[in-house]
Amino acid sequence: MEVDLLQMVENGGCSAKISPRQLEEILKYLPLPDDPDILVNIDTHDDAGVFRVNDTLALVLTTDFFPPVCSDPYEFGQIAAANSISDVYAMGGDPVVALNIMMFPSSKLPMEAYAGILKGGYDKAAEAGVRIIGGHTIDDFPPKYGLAVVGYIHPENIITNAGVRPGDYLVLTKPVGTGIILAGQRLGIALPDDVEEAKRQMKILNRSAAEIMKKYKIRGATDITGFGLAGHAIKMASASGVSLTISMKQVPLIGNTYRLSEDGCIPGAAFRNLDYTGEKTLFASDLDYNLKMIACDAQTSGGLLMSVPEEIVSQLLGDLHASGLADSAIIGRATEKKPKLLQLDN
Amino acid sequence: MKIVDTCGQKCPAPLIATRRAIREAGPGEVFEVITDNLTSFNNLSRFLKDNNTDFSVSEVQGKWNLRITQGTVAESYTKPQDYCSTPPAAFPKGNFIIVFSSDRMGEGSEELGHLLAGNFIKAVKDLDLLPAKIILYNKGVTLVSEESPVLENLKDLARMGVEILVCATCVNYYKLEGKTATGILSNMFVIAQAMASAGNIVRP
Repeated sequence: MEVDLLQMVENGGCSAKISPRQLEEILKYLPLPDDPDILVNIDTHDDAGVFRVNDTLALVLTTDFFPPVCSDPYEFGQIAAANSISDVYAMGGDPVVALNIMMFPSSKLPMEAYAGILKGGYDKAAEAGVRIIGGHTIDDFPPKYGLAVVGYIHPENIITNAGVRPGDYLVLTKPVGTGIILAGQRLGIALPDDVEEAKRQMKILNRSAAEIMKKYKIRGATDITGFGLAGHAIKMASASGVSLTISMKQVPLIGNTYRLSEDGCIPGAAFRNLDYTGEKTLFASDLDYNLKMIACDAQTSGGLLMSVPEEIVSQLLGDLHASGLADSAIIGRATEKKPKLLQLDN
Repeated sequence: MKIVDTCGQKCPAPLIATRRAIREAGPGEVFEVITDNLTSFNNLSRFLKDNNTDFSVSEVQGKWNLRITQGTVAESYTKPQDYCSTPPAAFPKGNFIIVFSSDRMGEGSEELGHLLAGNFIKAVKDLDLLPAKIILYNKGVTLVSEESPVLENLKDLARMGVEILVCATCVNYYKLEGKTATGILSNMFVIAQAMASAGNIVRP
């Protein structure tokens, strides 16, 4: 039996995330535990929590899971695992162990699909040097998969949303457009080459980007996922007390992302993100509408967005390109705090 | 008149059909897009406003009919000053929301009820803690109509950072489309969520 996971979902990948605005509303009413060993919590909307064990070791903890982003179970497993592990890399940590989180409709899908998803996850985790040591599955439709990951980090080397300084350049390590391309794929209007490229990008671990980030002692970074480039940029700006300016024409795009957007292939998640980013963003008066919506496109397993001091930006970019992250680009700059946290230019 | 029926289609298919229809229509041509999906309707409205395209909406039994005029520029929705204005000093807000389900305060005399509602809204501005949100539904939505005697006070509250959520279904029902002068038109989901997550609900 040929399994097509994509036919089971309306919102695949990180597009299925709850709206950032709704999330913020609810988190306001949940008290945060007060403990000096909690080094990073949801206060700064960071990618993962960090808990200090002793003076030289802290644990990075994160979890992520979502519905299918592609038809093939094995590829879905790979992408979900790369996405889950990415949060540890974004904090500057070394992922160590993980648990599977799986929801699977055993009456609707053959068990080979279940095995395929898990195998994809194991293989991607192995590539990252992560040991999967257990997990939990419940019967549910549609399928969802991801990992809960634990990583190691030195308490003084944490890279957070809050580490951006005015004058820093913003470097993005993967092209944007997975949400738009995947929506186009479901409707049969995306080119097969673009879909392949989107899947290839989503499978890339952010490991080498993170290694380069650590080599240059970068302090501020995040990974770009469900809240889109604009949403994550706003969270960084807010946590760092700065404003960011992004030139959308400098942002690398996957294949025909722009053309699909021009045709109206703008997924609902982009509008949901626009809802959140709109009031915090100054849109240049001549900003191209498609570029504005692409900035809000929900990404699955997106790249790292790093804040890089001017003196090292060209060397760091050279290292990224040499490591195979050929699309890496400077897309903007941090400034002193302005009335709006983010400015989007053409 | 051309009709683009997107019923049964989910996001972003209705938007793709609408963009195609706009491209194919002649200057000034009027056409209709129908959707039965609330999310698609909200996203289409947002798209049309962002692109300064004139349209009107009618809702019949869970279907939204958007009457779109090609190439028209409605009142500019994205004036730079809307985004550039410096936010006013932050006014502290409490963990409560105010809900107006009527344009009056209390039972009894209608005239007195209007007067009291006006006084109440004026008094809210002077509270130590402002409400997190003000929600208007049913007859309450007339408080933000252009003719409302309390409009200026509500506008002040909006400027002070109080989010005013206005039930869009009610605005349509009372034929106030385009005649509300402040607040954010919202659907029942947003309103239900705001009420469910509020610490306290104040009903004058």
